[in-house]
Amino acid sequence: MAAKSPVKDTPPPAAKPETPSSADAEADVVNVPSYSGWFSWDTINECEVRFLPEFFDSRSPSKNPGAYKYYRDSIIRHYRNNPSRKITFTDVRRILVGDVGSIRRVFDFLDTWGLVNYSASAKPLKWEDKENKSAGGGGSAAESSSITNKENSKTLCSGCKSVCSIACFYCDKYDLTLCARCYVRGNHRVGVSSSDFRRVEISEETRTDWTDKDTLQLLEAIMHYGDDWRKVAQHVGGRSEKDCITHFIKLRFGEELIDHSDLGEVDNNVDGGLESVGTTSPNKRMRLSPLADASNPIMAQAAFLSALAGIETAETAARAAVKTLSEVDNRASKGSLGSFPRNTKQEEAEVASNGDTSRNTLESFTVEANSSVEKEERDLEKAISGIIEVQMREIRKKIDRFEKLDLQMEKERQQLEQMKNMLFVDQLSLLFHKTSAPKTGEHMEENKIVKPNVS
Amino acid sequence: MKLPATSSFKAPVKFRMPTADNLVPIRLDIENEGQRYKDAFTWNPSDPDSEVVVFAKKTVRDLKLPPQFTTQIAQSIQSQLTEFRSYEGQDMYTAEKIVPIKLDLRVNHTLIRDQFLWDLNNYDSDPEEFARTFCKDLAIDDPEVGPAVAFAIREQLYEIAIQSVASAREIKISKKGRRGAEHMSASKAGGNALDLMKLFRFNSSIVRKRKEWEVYEPFVDILSNEEVDVLEAREERNTR
Repeated sequence: MAAKSPVKDTPPPAAKPETPSSADAEADVVNVPSYSGWFSWDTINECEVRFLPEFFDSRSPSKNPGAYKYYRDSIIRHYRNNPSRKITFTDVRRILVGDVGSIRRVFDFLDTWGLVNYSASAKPLKWEDKENKSAGGGGSAAESSSITNKENSKTLCSGCKSVCSIACFYCDKYDLTLCARCYVRGNHRVGVSSSDFRRVEISEETRTDWTDKDTLQLLEAIMHYGDDWRKVAQHVGGRSEKDCITHFIKLRFGEELIDHSDLGEVDNNVDGGLESVGTTSPNKRMRLSPLADASNPIMAQAAFLSALAGIETAETAARAAVKTLSEVDNRASKGSLGSFPRNTKQEEAEVASNGDTSRNTLESFTVEANSSVEKEERDLEKAISGIIEVQMREIRKKIDRFEKLDLQMEKERQQLEQMKNMLFVDQLSLLFHKTSAPKTGEHMEENKIVKPNVS
Repeated sequence: MKLPATSSFKAPVKFRMPTADNLVPIRLDIENEGQRYKDAFTWNPSDPDSEVVVFAKKTVRDLKLPPQFTTQIAQSIQSQLTEFRSYEGQDMYTAEKIVPIKLDLRVNHTLIRDQFLWDLNNYDSDPEEFARTFCKDLAIDDPEVGPAVAFAIREQLYEIAIQSVASAREIKISKKGRRGAEHMSASKAGGNALDLMKLFRFNSSIVRKRKEWEVYEPFVDILSNEEVDVLEAREERNTR
């Protein structure tokens, strides 16, 4: 499916699915693959940010989004000037101002995504991975697996020596074949980069056809061994268990005899295999890079499952997980820790279901955090009240002291009064003595009148 | 107020390109069995060395050169990179330096001649930005001119940076003490640099004299095919 867009015009309509035309008769129409339908002249999509982080992490001042846009737009414009001719990196490099390393990376990115040099007859999409990942993959690949296994009708993975059934990755440079799991884990030789690998779909049907004899043997075996698919596979002769199961399901009466509980995981993989057979490979493109971290086994497992399961199933599973997760969080969180579920939601959106463990840990975290917050509050209150008490005590003591002083003052004042009175009496008696001779009873009377007042 | 002396003795700086990006100008000129490959571009020295081989292979494939070129190209790039890296640990002195940069290049049919002043102490300067604006302002059609201009500027800056490293080394060797060193740096480094103080003294104006206008104006000429051939023949003769 390709989206058609006129050349040198406003942004192409986002992922308009139309039937592909193998011969592009009109000269002014450019084909763009549907997985690159996000492209628009005016904006920078997030997958561009992801694949070319050097322009967006502001590590160097001239490697900014503006420069990236300039490179990208000039390259695409240059290509669309003459879409029938494939442009080479050297053409592009000569006309762009900038260091050739960055230009090459932008060019490779556009080339892989079919925004330049894309024609309907182009070979299916090469797997591109982050540059970091190949460096990381080289580091984590401790074992140097031997490359003795060539590709034969039964493809064996050179890394883990298991039979590759659904999809395998083939590197023609070094003649290596890896199963999806090893590819995701970066389990290849050190010198090989992940971009050298080509994805090869292995369809069940084309590999080995089920003859009538085989079918008969299969049915016999199932009758004898029932659910033991290993023995069934042995009996049928050289088919893998999954092959047998797939074929059995395809037979019309197969479903009644299958015990569903056994085949939980296998069913998933088988469905993925059937799906991948049905759809054409250029439309399937999965991002393994963010999760293909060998150090996190759960994530690697999830990446492997999602690689096998296909885009739609992974998406729906992730959405369901996210929905349930958000429901739980709405109940559990008190709102103060809203950021936690948001972060985990983002991660979940990329992984096909494993919500339970993270949900539980999230709940316990929120509860713990809340209790510690409350404890701290209480401690704080206690401390404050203690301080207040001490202050009050101080003030009270001061008040007491002042009261004492006050009392003392009163006493002293009274003493002073008395002394004043005595002085007055003394003065009077002196006067009296002074004037007692010349004066007569007047003074006596006065004194008598005065005296009762003095006491 | 008394202004400080011109070539003030600044502390030495670790060597790097005096531009915003630490990019190396790489020039290739390889001849092999009668085929000549000339090229010039900027390289980011922090790219891993595996990039060199990848780049060489891509170039050979895109230009359909014989495969022997791959190793030669890779070797040439590597040696220039190593040379650049050998300077990197060393010190260079950057006094007040405003240097004239001259452009005199021919790219396909376009001939460019220009001269302007460039501040070496400005580590935020960006030759690529300059080249882009240059082409846009002068409405240059040929898209290959931009990178050539940026490259020419970068190359000259690189030369000057190398010279300052060499002069720094000489200063260390001579050990003449402060004043002697100042003289040295003034004479060596200021060879090309303009003495800002003399230029901007109080009795002279900062406006350029009329007779110097033509020198500092960009000159762009579109050549015809015959002229191109003539010039190419002359260049070949010069290089031989």
